[in-house]
Amino acid sequence: MTARRWWLLALAVGALVWALGGEWISISNGVPENHFLDAMVGLSFFGAGIVAIDRRPGNVIGPLMICYAAAWFLGNWGQTGLPLLVPLGFVGGTLSTPFLVQILFVYPSGRIQTTFERVVLWGVYVLSFGVALVVLLAWDPRAFGCLDCWHTYAPFPSSAVSDMVLRINDRAALVLVPLFFVVLVLRWRRASHAERRELAPLWTAAVLLAIVYLIGSFASPDETSNSFAYLLWEVRGILEIFVPIIFVWGLLSTRLAQSAVGSLVVELERPLPPGGLRDALARTLGDPSLEVAYAIEGDEHWVDADGQRVTLPGPPVDRRTATTIAPEGEALAVLIHDPALDEGLVRSAGAAAGLAIANERLRAQVRAQLEEVRASRQRIVEAGDRERRRVERNLHDGAQQRLVTISLGLAMLRQREGLDPATGKAVAHAIEELRSAMGELRELARGIHPAILTEEGLVAAVEMVADRSSVPVQVHVAFEGRLPEPVEATAYYVVSECIANVAKYADASGALVGLERRNGSLHVEVADDGKGGADVDRGSGLRGLEDRVAAVGGTFRIESPRGEGTRVFAEIPTDA
Amino acid sequence: MRGLWWDGTILAMARRILIVDDSAGFRAQARTLLTAAGFDVVAEAEDGLSGVRATRELTPEVVLLDVQLPDVSGFDVARMLHDGPDPPAIILISSREASDYGRGIDRSGASGFISKADLSARTLEALLDGDER
Repeated sequence: MTARRWWLLALAVGALVWALGGEWISISNGVPENHFLDAMVGLSFFGAGIVAIDRRPGNVIGPLMICYAAAWFLGNWGQTGLPLLVPLGFVGGTLSTPFLVQILFVYPSGRIQTTFERVVLWGVYVLSFGVALVVLLAWDPRAFGCLDCWHTYAPFPSSAVSDMVLRINDRAALVLVPLFFVVLVLRWRRASHAERRELAPLWTAAVLLAIVYLIGSFASPDETSNSFAYLLWEVRGILEIFVPIIFVWGLLSTRLAQSAVGSLVVELERPLPPGGLRDALARTLGDPSLEVAYAIEGDEHWVDADGQRVTLPGPPVDRRTATTIAPEGEALAVLIHDPALDEGLVRSAGAAAGLAIANERLRAQVRAQLEEVRASRQRIVEAGDRERRRVERNLHDGAQQRLVTISLGLAMLRQREGLDPATGKAVAHAIEELRSAMGELRELARGIHPAILTEEGLVAAVEMVADRSSVPVQVHVAFEGRLPEPVEATAYYVVSECIANVAKYADASGALVGLERRNGSLHVEVADDGKGGADVDRGSGLRGLEDRVAAVGGTFRIESPRGEGTRVFAEIPTDA
Repeated sequence: MRGLWWDGTILAMARRILIVDDSAGFRAQARTLLTAAGFDVVAEAEDGLSGVRATRELTPEVVLLDVQLPDVSGFDVARMLHDGPDPPAIILISSREASDYGRGIDRSGASGFISKADLSARTLEALLDGDER
């Protein structure tokens, strides 16, 4: 047995002594109350508290249950007449209440979640301990006929003050219970599906208990002489027993859920469909929102089963918790799940699925690499486009601009009066030569990148292609405005390459270009009425177009039956 | 608008013209060329927005407008001027050719296009006269 277990055993023995001792004092003093119920309430909290400390060491609920039970029996020990215990016993019930409220607020995580909850809880603590302090200082048991109570009397005896404080305490439920309900309602609205399932049984008991408290604040403060108040005390006791019972049941149901891990192992023996591992884990843990992130490149990056990057929830747990699955020390994956799930259960499920997770991780790594290749191909194409735009722009701003200046200078020179004919002829010849040089340069620049695509966009550029084509081309456009540069460039090259093919090979009388934006994509269609028979695998630049479209995540398709014309379809995602 | 009086010769009042182009060398050359041919170059602007501003302030009759400007496209400037009050005649210029811009020139509301290498008082007059008819 571990030291911790010995310590818990000692705690259990101490609790039993405190509980039974208290009951013995109560019975021997002839206190008219249900001793069995009284003992059961306190003992159930002691028992559940010890189980909770054992099973959930880091959780505050266990110690809170022990505190509640200890305060519960304080009332009985007060009847011994021992110094301090008399007034403390008098307010024993008052002292136990805040522990119970805290248990209900922090169940099941052990943590307070909002400032409002914290404020309400502090209100309950301040009131309860404030009342206890005033009673210690001002309450005189002799006023209650306990003349032979052998303890040092209150240092500032004042029955007026203590009566007033006790009356406030009796009526405080009128304010605190509605606040308690507000906390419950707010928390319920925030709670996830799994949390609600876990909270429902305990909170049913809590709501009933709060209603009893509320009714109790109207009843007579003296439970022993007023039968209705005594009934309420009994109902309250019975309801309070439910709190530890439900708590322990929750722990046991976690154990029951562990048996689902057994079924998971059986399920994972069969080959899984894509995403099947996540579904199986989600089913086992009862969290439909569960996600699995796989580690790639050591554990620096995380991806889902499709190889897409995943961001793990950060330390300020934002309604999601990440549990790392690391058999043999190396992090394989992280389960991102509802914080309400039992961490031990999540770990068991992760361990059970270890082999399947390792396999799925290998697949995810391959997909992530493919994704990276696709992304880098897109970057390369975009960089190429950028470079072509830059070269064209440089030609335009530099060489072309200078040639224009020279050309204009020569034109002015030729018009100058008094120029001898020979010089005039030479200048005219120079101007002609210059014009052809400029024409060639323009043609070169246009081939590198069409300026109109940058200046006026895809539609104007496609219309220019149509206008310049030797075959009549009709253009149908069903969208307005500009598209991202890679999309416009890709669509432009598809159209211009296809129209060039129509002119060169198709033997067509006309062609049709359609541009349409639909379902987040630009649909490009080029059709002709030529001889057909075009094939991606037989050159003509179609393979290059297919690669280009694929590089921006699009699809490319050709229908070209012999003798029935050619239709080229490209679908380019517009948010690429 | 053009002829002030007729007494056997055309005594034309000099057309007021604004040159919008980011190349200072070209602007100087165009100014020399056009002034020599009797145009009144009221101002030069080196980008689209200052071109628009100068047009609003000086109300020139003709704006010689480069297509490729550092801030906004010459087509956009042409559309802005064309849609504004009392629009001037807009002549787009570029070191490229009209066919490089397809139907963009027609759509911009400009009166015409001259390739920079072809710029002369005669080509300009021809476009402007065509526009007036």
